[in-house]
Amino acid sequence: MASASSGAPMRKVVDYELLFDCVHCGLCLEACPTYALKRAEMDSPRGRIYLMKALAEGRLPLDSDAARHLDLCLGCRGCETACPSGVHYGRLIEDARAFVEANYRRSLMDRTRRAIVNAIFPYPARLRALLAPLKSIERAGLRPALAAMLPRAMREWIELLPPLSGCADERAAMPPAADPGAPAVVVHHGCVAQVLANSENLASEAVLAAAGYRVVRMANTACCGALDLHSGNRDRALDFARRNVRMLAACGADAIISAASGCSTAIAEYGALLRDDPELAGLAKSVSATVRDLSALLLERGLPTMRKLECTVTFHDACHLVHGLGVREGPRKLLSSIPGVRLIELAESDLCCGSAGNYNLTEPEMARELARRKVDNIIATGADYVVMANPGCEFQIAAELRRRRANIKVIHLARFLAMALAG
Amino acid sequence: MRADGFSSAYGCDNFVFPFGRGGFRDRGIRSENPSIIARATAGANAVSAICCAIVHGVSADVIGIAATPLDSRLVDELAAIVGRDGIVSRPSELKVYECDGWTVEKNSPDLLVMPRTTEQVSAVLKALWRRGLPFVPRGAGTGLSGGALPVNAPVMICTSKMNHILAIDLANRRVEVESGVVNLHVTNAIKRDGFFYAPDPSSQQACTIGGNIAENSGGPHTLKYGVTTNHVMGLTLVLADGEVVELGGWAEERCGYDLVGAVVGAEGTAGIVTRAVLKIVREPEDHRTLLATFADVEAATRAVSAIIAAGIVPGAIEMMDQLIIRAVEDAFHAGLPADAGAVLIIELDGLVAGLDECAARVTEIARSAGASEVRLARDEAERAGLWKARKRAFGAVGRLAPNYATQDGVVPRTRLPDILRVIGAVSKKYHLAIGNVFHAGDGNIHPIILYDERKPEEVRAAVEAGREILAACVEMGGSLTGEHGIGVEKQGEMPLLFSPEDLIAMTELRRVFDPMERSNPNKVIPRPGSCVEVAAPRRQVPI
Repeated sequence: MASASSGAPMRKVVDYELLFDCVHCGLCLEACPTYALKRAEMDSPRGRIYLMKALAEGRLPLDSDAARHLDLCLGCRGCETACPSGVHYGRLIEDARAFVEANYRRSLMDRTRRAIVNAIFPYPARLRALLAPLKSIERAGLRPALAAMLPRAMREWIELLPPLSGCADERAAMPPAADPGAPAVVVHHGCVAQVLANSENLASEAVLAAAGYRVVRMANTACCGALDLHSGNRDRALDFARRNVRMLAACGADAIISAASGCSTAIAEYGALLRDDPELAGLAKSVSATVRDLSALLLERGLPTMRKLECTVTFHDACHLVHGLGVREGPRKLLSSIPGVRLIELAESDLCCGSAGNYNLTEPEMARELARRKVDNIIATGADYVVMANPGCEFQIAAELRRRRANIKVIHLARFLAMALAG
Repeated sequence: MRADGFSSAYGCDNFVFPFGRGGFRDRGIRSENPSIIARATAGANAVSAICCAIVHGVSADVIGIAATPLDSRLVDELAAIVGRDGIVSRPSELKVYECDGWTVEKNSPDLLVMPRTTEQVSAVLKALWRRGLPFVPRGAGTGLSGGALPVNAPVMICTSKMNHILAIDLANRRVEVESGVVNLHVTNAIKRDGFFYAPDPSSQQACTIGGNIAENSGGPHTLKYGVTTNHVMGLTLVLADGEVVELGGWAEERCGYDLVGAVVGAEGTAGIVTRAVLKIVREPEDHRTLLATFADVEAATRAVSAIIAAGIVPGAIEMMDQLIIRAVEDAFHAGLPADAGAVLIIELDGLVAGLDECAARVTEIARSAGASEVRLARDEAERAGLWKARKRAFGAVGRLAPNYATQDGVVPRTRLPDILRVIGAVSKKYHLAIGNVFHAGDGNIHPIILYDERKPEEVRAAVEAGREILAACVEMGGSLTGEHGIGVEKQGEMPLLFSPEDLIAMTELRRVFDPMERSNPNKVIPRPGSCVEVAAPRRQVPI
């Protein structure tokens, strides 16, 4: 190894030993959305791991190229599914991101963009305050006019927002209490999700109740920390994780789910994240162990009779659901069990749509290209609905479908099931 | 020593072929520029010089490799052809291209070009030709013999952007694809219609058809269906000077020399393949996949020979030894017997009628060879689980050690027990764990040698151990490679199998296509001296 012999300084980029899980076989290449589009090794998982190794060994400086290739990763973890060697890519990229944040100075534009995202999105109150004027503008029918006036970067952000009138803001009444002996489930309402996708949260609670679960709520919901973890703000991510561990443990639920699969995966990994925490390591592990997936819970207890929905649907695999939690068949089984529903398989269903947490805000170009590819595949199915289990994907895919003026409805799995259960 | 008379004729960029244009258009070869046949004849004039050069050890830079440094004008010229996004020139970015799946040796290219079309490849190669620059072709970089390692080849041409399926003709059972198309994507495109592309290397989810053609790749199912060369009907090949030639085509039978056959397995030394017409195969009506458990590898290999001797040709017979079984079980929980000494995955395919009888017969043979259990996969999910375990076995081994080198030798099927004994002895001698997972049906072994690249003595031992195993393969009447190619990895072993005259004949054949040896130079044929000493430029890293 060149660096060892040349005595170059080792840098703490990632857990160095983890890099050696990668045997450079290349089986991850085609599972990587950025490689799928860019076709270059630097923008592949194998290439990024190589880059991390070279950075750690001091063979490469952390320059704009290196930062660029690490930034461009969506953190979708499609490579983990493809990897035969069990490389913990998610952990590697999170650590590498933290290294970049600590040691690399970005352009002013980049810094501003990231600062806005970091300051607002994890805090529901701030996001609500920011969206309040937009809501009035939308009510007056002026949202398209506003979008047209804004510079491109901001216009794209506005385009991603779902119609705000459709966002159920207030906390609905708890679903009717089930048998007190039934297993208790808590739905983590998320940060952005509780503002922009509250109906998804409420629908999740409703279908769980319909399946006979006892739904409990957290006293107060804080961001799960995934946004920070994925963008290299490790310290704040740890703070959020600690808060959530305490609050989730206090719920005493038998199962934790989230309508956003990114949050579910983040919570499921608190155990690993806080493994060195003197106080919370044990508790974090047990909280992580209770994370489940909505479809698995519903299949376990079975749903009551659903009404007939004459339609065709296709299912998009949200990255952290399929690659993070390994859930692939459950949602499809549920959809197929609804009378009248015909499921059409989506080509490249598990390739990222470009949403990836706040990626579509910080890397709009790549995000847009992936959205185009995703929507091409969705349109090709000719389905009436495209169903998914992650609000971020909903916004991203719906925005692209709106741009194409395509008449395919985007809907969260929980809401689709709630629709089949209603009346 | 330098053969100056030879280099004055061949080292010159403006060499004019002494034969006229055209006149060589037939069904076999279509060529627009000076035909490669003309070159062959031209080359014949210099055959004695070549022989002399090889035997006496002329270094590569005399034979057409003029060391023109890369200048920014070249970069601009190439960028004008392929676009800025098709060029990588910064050293920090080129670092990731310093090796493929063979990680023992590393060397970065000075420039990477990613063309999108045959025309672009041709224009790029013309620009390189004018400057006398050699190049190395690369597909997905999953090769295991260092075929895509730059060795005195400053420019790398990567086919990853040429990834379109151009035509699907089910009636004639052909597809035409660009060479950067991923192997599995060919099957995915025709699966719905009940067809598949038979060669299925373990890396099929990432490796490209172009790479498969270079290495003449196989896979588990080649026992019954044949390797890549049996499925490539036609090729578009760009020669080192940028000339585009078409070899073969869509038709089944053709006359004349099999030039497609010469290019398949040439490891990129004939030029860059940009398109290929492939034969596709109808999915068999049904499968029966059996998992047979044995106490040791010897009993398992006895069963293999007995099955074939009984006149049964399964779709695949794959063997995994204990080390691999454990690695795979830890990784995928495929339900393999963790304490078994060896297992065979035997897949029978074909018409439904007779399949069950065949499975019963195989079960009986396996049992009499000593199988303690023979299990039939109950459904498609179980079958898929077994194949997933098998196909990803190499990677699963990555969980056992930081690095591994996968060897790829061939022995006559009946010598399998002998070679496995040798491998066991080699493992003890070098204190390195070696696992075995291979295509037992055709005697193609894949010992996986585990090592840690941070320990130079282990790297050296791994390379030595590999060499010893290959030497034993040749001694038993086998071959140096079943499907991974010679690349740089096994160059030094070529003289074990071939006489100097054989190697000269191969070089002459290569020079029919690439007289200046500019396409993937310093591969396959041992460079003078490389079998005794290690050339500095390519052995930058561990050794």
